[in-house]
Order: sequence, then C-alpha cells, then structure tokens
Amino acid sequence: MSRVEVRSEIPGIVISIDAAVDDVLAEDDPIITVESMKMYIPIPAPIAGRVTEILMNEGDVVATGQIVAVIET
Amino acid sequence: MPFEKEIAEHAARKRQALAMGSSRKLEEFAKSGLLNARQRIGYLLDTGSFQEVGAFAVSERPEDRDRSAGDGVVAGYGRIDRRPVAILAYDFTILGASSAPIASLKFQHVRKAAAKHSMPLVILAEAGGARIPDIMGARGTARARSHQVYERRRQTPWVTAILGQSYGSPSWKAAMSDFVAMRKGAVMAVSSARVTSVAISESVDPEELGGWRMRTEVTGEVDRACDTDQDTLDTLRRFLAYLPGHAMAAPPRAAVPLGSGEKMARILEIVPEARSQIYDVRKVIDAIVDTDSFFPVKERFAKVMACGLARIEGRTVGIIASNPMFKGGALDPEACRKAAGFIVLCDSFNVPLIILADTPGFLVGVEGERLALAGHIMNFVHALEMATVPKLAVVMRKSYGQAYINMGGNADEIAAWYTADVSFMDPAVAVNVVHGLRQQDDPARFEELRREFGRDTGAYDLAAGFLAQDVIDPRETRVWLARMLEVHEKRATNGVGEHLMNTWPYHF
Repeated sequence: MSRVEVRSEIPGIVISIDAAVDDVLAEDDPIITVESMKMYIPIPAPIAGRVTEILMNEGDVVATGQIVAVIET
Repeated sequence: MPFEKEIAEHAARKRQALAMGSSRKLEEFAKSGLLNARQRIGYLLDTGSFQEVGAFAVSERPEDRDRSAGDGVVAGYGRIDRRPVAILAYDFTILGASSAPIASLKFQHVRKAAAKHSMPLVILAEAGGARIPDIMGARGTARARSHQVYERRRQTPWVTAILGQSYGSPSWKAAMSDFVAMRKGAVMAVSSARVTSVAISESVDPEELGGWRMRTEVTGEVDRACDTDQDTLDTLRRFLAYLPGHAMAAPPRAAVPLGSGEKMARILEIVPEARSQIYDVRKVIDAIVDTDSFFPVKERFAKVMACGLARIEGRTVGIIASNPMFKGGALDPEACRKAAGFIVLCDSFNVPLIILADTPGFLVGVEGERLALAGHIMNFVHALEMATVPKLAVVMRKSYGQAYINMGGNADEIAAWYTADVSFMDPAVAVNVVHGLRQQDDPARFEELRREFGRDTGAYDLAAGFLAQDVIDPRETRVWLARMLEVHEKRATNGVGEHLMNTWPYHF
C-alpha cells in the first residue's frame, strides 16, 4: 500500500468535485475539475487506487503543484 | 593441412573474443530475462547481417588483456528491415562495459562510417561509466577528449536504447540521439547512485536518480519506456522505419493499411461543440492518419503537446497537436521545448510537419515566467520558421494570441475547420481585462460585451482575409492533408529540405 498525493498541474478555481472519499478510481478518472484559461480541466487520478482524502472544495483557488487529493494504491 | 596451426589459433582466439564475460555473468543476464550484448544485436538486426569490427580488440592495459574481450563493446554494421545501419552495443559482462580508450576507438570508427556512408547509428547502452584506473590522472582524463566526439550535424539518424545501468558515456550518447527508448528498470544518469552518494553525501535511489519515470516524465530525455529488452529494440526498429537512412533522402513510402480514413466519418463525435470542454486530440490524430500509424514521441512528457510520427497515404509526417485533455491545451515551457525538439528532428530528416491547433494560449503565470516561457515560445516559433519541410496547419477550434502563430499561423497552407475561433484572447477574458467586468457583476452586460469581442473571430473571417487558404468540414481533414502533402512535395530536391537546424542543440 502506498500513499500517492495528487497535485494540480495548473492554477485555477475548483468548479466541481468529481470523486468522493473511499471511491475506487482507475488511472485517469477525474477527481476534481479546475477552471483555468477559460477551460474546464479535470485533474485525474495519476494511478489506480482508493481516494483517502479530498483537500479542496468548490470555489477554492488552487495553485500549480498544490495537493488536491490523496490516493492509496 | 596447410596453415593448420594458424587455423586452430584463429578459431581459439575467435571463440575467446566472442565468449564475452564470465559464464556466471551471462547466466545472470539470462536469469533476469535480459538479453546480453550479442543477443541484443542478433535480435535487432536482420538475420545474418551483422558484420563485426573490433572483435579482437582488448584493453590497452596489459594486465586486463585476457579479461577485456572487445574492450567491453561490440561494434559493427548490419541491416534493419533490409536497410544498412552502424551499431554499437555495450557489453556489461566485460568490466561493466566501462568506457576505455580502445572501446572509444571502436565507437568512433562506426560513428564515422555511419556519417560518411549515410547509415543510421544505433547505440545499445548499458555501461557503468568511465573505467578506473584507465581514466584516472591528468593524462587519463585529458586524453579522453580525443576519444569522444561531441559534434553532430544530423547527417543520419541516431537512436539509443537504454537497456541497463547507463552512466557517463552512454548517457552522453543518448542525449545526442534523435530518439531514445528505455527498458523499465534501466537507469540513465550522469553518475551512478554510488558515485553520487559519495560525492554529495546523499543516499540516492537509482530509480529516483534516473529511472524511466524521471527520464520520460520529468526531463523528457527518453522518448519511450518499454517493458522488456525485446520491446525496447522493437521500438527502435519501428522509429527508424519512418525515417530515411540519411538526411539527403526522403522518408520511405509505406503501403496504406486497409481501413485508413474510415474513422474520419465520426470525427465530429470526438470534438465537443462547447469550447470549454476538453477531449483527447490523440483520437483526432488516430482518425486522420493511416491506421495504427501514429507513433508518439515523449508521450509522457509535456502531455499538453502531442507530438509524433505518422503516415498519411503512406507518407511519413510529423504531427504537432495541442491536447486540450491536459492543462486545457494551454501551452507551457515544456510544451514549447518538446515542439522545438520535434521540429528539429522532422526538418533534419525531411519529414513534413502537420500542426493541429486547439489552444486557449500560452499558460501565463509565475511558474511559466520562472521557467523562461518567453524564451521557449520564441525557440519554438523560430524552429517552425526555420523549417524548410512542408508545413501544413489545421485550426480545429480556438487558437489565441501568440499561440496562434506558434501553432502553424506561419504554415505553408492553413485550413480552418468551420469551428475555428481565432483572436488575441478568449472574449470572456477580454471583457474582464478591458472593462474590468466579471460575469457575476452584471451577467447581461457581460454577455453583451462578450459577444462584441467574439465578433469576426470565426473560420470565414480568417478565410475572408486569405489568412486561411480554406474552410473545411473536419471530416475532410485527411483528404485535405493528403492532397496538400502531394502539392508541397519538394520535387526539385526529391523531398530533401535545407536542414538549417542540423546543428541546433541536442536538448531544449
């Protein structure tokens, strides 16, 4: 079991939370969606696993590299 | 029998030369499921085509002569898919394939032959760095200069496979190559984890130092990671099949696979109408090009810029496409670096460029500025200007600001899909910047101003000023590209360009 921190690759505003704690995700499943550069950009699971933490809420401002969720593989 | 003694001695010496390192080391390779140096050459080259040079070479140090067959490298010539190549494989079973003077002479010999006689150079890397004590002392270190060549004019393609621990010399060769594939589990770094931890008192994990994730995702120095030695070698073969054997020839033309172009009818289902919605541009590329012909390079690096070789009607093309799937298609410094390097590759080997644009622009912000975004944007657009291969661009959806120029605004022919949207910036951003008005402040007024800024930004506006040569239905893209590739074929030079970037940097 290892803990994988999911980071935003892009700065923007969180417009939706697409997964919940305990959800089992496949690689590339969306976790949250960020609006940036007038685009709706999903931040996907970098690896398959179970979501243990979601650290953002709708409307939050997210910076590049910020941890938005944690997955356990 | 005449010459009986000589014949026997020759056979014995040859056996010893080809035996490589100890049987224990060779067994370790076999047990780990790895190929040894000679097996790698045998797997990659056409059967029976290997013509070796330097089998009888050994270390120049008398005490190492009996344990340094080939001085740790196997070199020679052969054929891949019936086309000649020069090849060098490091033999890790001989003194860790550490770099030494005689081995370097062998490398220089095949490198020069490859350039002079117009053959690709193939490097199968796995080496522990410079050989100690050979390299030690002022003389050992300084004379290494005469055994290395750092200048390359891209006369022929260079490809490298990283198949084991590769430190020093094999890493330089990989860095100088046009394409690098790596077996997962192999390591590419300047110095070994051991040397590194002694030098900087930091315990370093080799995988972290130069494993496949580091090289394919963080630095982009490796184009593709593969699961086995065989996959890695197959990947080199597949890459070379797209390119000419040398810069003075056009790429080979392939047969067109059945079913090519059939996916074009469904292309409108891939691209969403709402321009804020994302999609994976690789599906668009896959639909346009000959069936299964898209060969991505650096697929795990700067994913926002999809780059790769492909074929259209059997002709090799280089595709550069912004991918809204990642970062919404907003181009960052890494995307520019990847595109610039790919343009240099294509232009050096006469591969026409196709640019597919759908980008909200360059990704502005502190992070980009810290990484010298402006410099990378200019390198990218400079490369495109300097390229003398045919350049065709398709504006798929939005393409804003300087990114419009970078994404083929200076191409030889531009087609706009009827969904194209070209302006200096997104109209909604313009309302905010010019009028200081946000949507939530006054939705009705915002919408009115947004519509105002959204005028004259469509495909027909572009075509009206002859800034695009045609407006096409997305389903016509493959046919338009195939036709334009034929029109722009460089007939006067048999498809050979001017190669103005053949001395551009190895790494961007």
